[in-house]
Amino acid sequence: MNIIINNLKKTFGEKVAVDIEHYQINTGEILGLVGNNGAGKSTLFRLILDLIKADTGSVRMTGMAGGEKRDINVAETEDWKDWTGAFVDESFLIDYLTPDEYFHFIARISGLSDAELEDDLQKYEHFMAGELMGQKKLIRNLSAGNKQKVGIVAAMLLRPQVLILDEPFNFLDPSSQSHIKHLLQEYNQTTGATILISSHNLQHTVDICPRIALLEDGHIIRDIANTGGEAQQELENYFEV
Amino acid sequence: MTKYQLYKLLQRTEALKDERHPMFEKNRFMKFLMWFLVAYYAALMIIMGVSLGFGLKGDYSAAYHRLDGGFFYLLIIDFWMRFMMQETPAQKAQTYALLPIRRSFLMKTYLIRNMLSWGNTFWAFFLVPFGLVSIVPLMGWGAFLGWLIGYWLLFVLNGLGYLFTRALCMKHMLWFLAPLVLHAALVCVCVLPDHNVLRVPFILFMQGFAQWSILPYLIVFAAIALALWANYRLQMGMVYNEVGKKEEVELKRASQFTYLNRFGTMGEYLKLELKLRMRNKQARMQFFVGLGLIVFFSVMLYFTDVYDSGFMKSFICLYDYVIMGATTLIGIMCYEGNYIDGLMSRRETIYDLLRAKFFFNLGILAIPFLLIFPLMVTGKISVWMNLGYLFFTAGVLYPCIFQMAVYNKNTLPLNVKLTGGNQGTMMQQVISLVVLFLPIALEKISVLLLGPVWGYMPLIGLGIAGIATHRFWLRNIYHRFMLRRHANMEGFRASRHG
Repeated sequence: MNIIINNLKKTFGEKVAVDIEHYQINTGEILGLVGNNGAGKSTLFRLILDLIKADTGSVRMTGMAGGEKRDINVAETEDWKDWTGAFVDESFLIDYLTPDEYFHFIARISGLSDAELEDDLQKYEHFMAGELMGQKKLIRNLSAGNKQKVGIVAAMLLRPQVLILDEPFNFLDPSSQSHIKHLLQEYNQTTGATILISSHNLQHTVDICPRIALLEDGHIIRDIANTGGEAQQELENYFEV
Repeated sequence: MTKYQLYKLLQRTEALKDERHPMFEKNRFMKFLMWFLVAYYAALMIIMGVSLGFGLKGDYSAAYHRLDGGFFYLLIIDFWMRFMMQETPAQKAQTYALLPIRRSFLMKTYLIRNMLSWGNTFWAFFLVPFGLVSIVPLMGWGAFLGWLIGYWLLFVLNGLGYLFTRALCMKHMLWFLAPLVLHAALVCVCVLPDHNVLRVPFILFMQGFAQWSILPYLIVFAAIALALWANYRLQMGMVYNEVGKKEEVELKRASQFTYLNRFGTMGEYLKLELKLRMRNKQARMQFFVGLGLIVFFSVMLYFTDVYDSGFMKSFICLYDYVIMGATTLIGIMCYEGNYIDGLMSRRETIYDLLRAKFFFNLGILAIPFLLIFPLMVTGKISVWMNLGYLFFTAGVLYPCIFQMAVYNKNTLPLNVKLTGGNQGTMMQQVISLVVLFLPIALEKISVLLLGPVWGYMPLIGLGIAGIATHRFWLRNIYHRFMLRRHANMEGFRASRHG
């Protein structure tokens, strides 16, 4: 699924949060968004997910879905929700459910059978490290890292064609960070899904994203090809690390 | 910094907390409405005070004696109103737990501020005009002043009693029953045939204030001192509990409600609604308060005959049905504000959620129906009135209340033990008033025109029509919600706690 952004602008008072004239993310790409705090990464994700209203412009998704060619504006229809999975922050989690209950809830309201769900969850067993399933802990009582895992797994459950994760490496222990990197790459290769992630971890971003967009004050100031890890130096120079 | 300066600083900080609340700050109209409502209620109380005073003119003594004989009714109303508006010191002090301010000082500050709060003088809007009409002409200004001070002290004591009860409710919700039982017992004693048992002592007690007798003042001062001491001890303990609180991290039993699976997607939302009410302190408390009120109103109908007038029977019977909706459903979507982004990233979740909420609340109506059923059998409540209000609530009042799903955009915290002042928005208050009073007006007109049996048929008919068309009006609400979704989500995010 392609994501096409046109004349997208969002301001909060005087502050320009996002201002992108044109940008296209192609089907099957893993795009990494990097930028300093307040650069507009989360706002851009929320605009793509129609969670906030753009002042001007549009986000379109085009491509094949359910066997037919689609071209939709995310602000005009809910169709995109059928093929999009996302986790931005805790407001995506129903924290008075246990992880099991939350996954079952997501699966059932999306028409996934229990067997399909169990099958899907098995793929993430290693990532969940035995700390989520079968526990009687509510999500709100989990550690920040485990909450993050619940959000990521829930976003990936329905095998979406578009996957959006805001700072997925946050709060995760080193081995879980490594797991999620492999999971995302494998998911991208097996499903051909378009994946958007944002991160402050330059190394992880360079490791898994063949394309990286650098945001500053809401503008994409650089669109960096990174098929061989060549973005590393450019990003280090920009962030002065 | 001196203690007085610190006291003033805390006072200023608390004022800023209210002024800069995200929802309040960006809504100037809301500020105006808040003041308008205060002015409205004040005017209402002045009118009531004057009317009651003049209503009994010619029998001045009876006027204030009748009020004094039942002054605890005012205290009961005042007590329960505080649940909607007042925070406890433990919650306020927790905010400053990590600052270099002595907790004992904080606690004393908040208790003193509570005693000196304007809220304790609000009843003056009623008492001053009443006293001017009924006491000044008979006993003079000195008596009037003493009488007013007496009432003020009683409201101060009531406030401290409320804080104590509220803190106990924090430890265990069942403490909520203590004032309920006490107040019910007082009411029951006073409706006994020989109700002078309490009335005469109450009159003498209040007369003591007016006559500046030392005894009633001593009694109230002693009670206030005791209440202050008890509150200080309890609230201090509560602060430590709050700060060092260890959340119960594992559910004892994770109910799955598998019997709801047969309802498909809606069953999942029904489970969500049940878990929302069971696993979150705030939502649970609100739900049980609603249930408590249903039982309370039913008990009033069972055991007293003071409400046997046509109007009061209608009023109580309607309250029994609508009180849960008016208290819990009026804030529809406010709890969901905590996870609205997750819901909104899935297709049509809000429509299914609304359907589930409708059926959940339909199920709730079975409780007042079953409680009123024996009264229906004995003939105390007419079958048609009972059915009329049942169907009218489900099919007409619920659709009215559900409209709030389109307009509510302030997130309510799910699991905060101690609640702050959530008086609701203007629209919530208007809808509450409409659903509490409009049906009675309709019923009276209908019964007047069509008689005591056929008069209820329009209510039943409209109700059944509303239930039968629930998909249609819920879909309409859903579409309107979607049109306002960005503004609503912005509001939910801005008012999200923690």
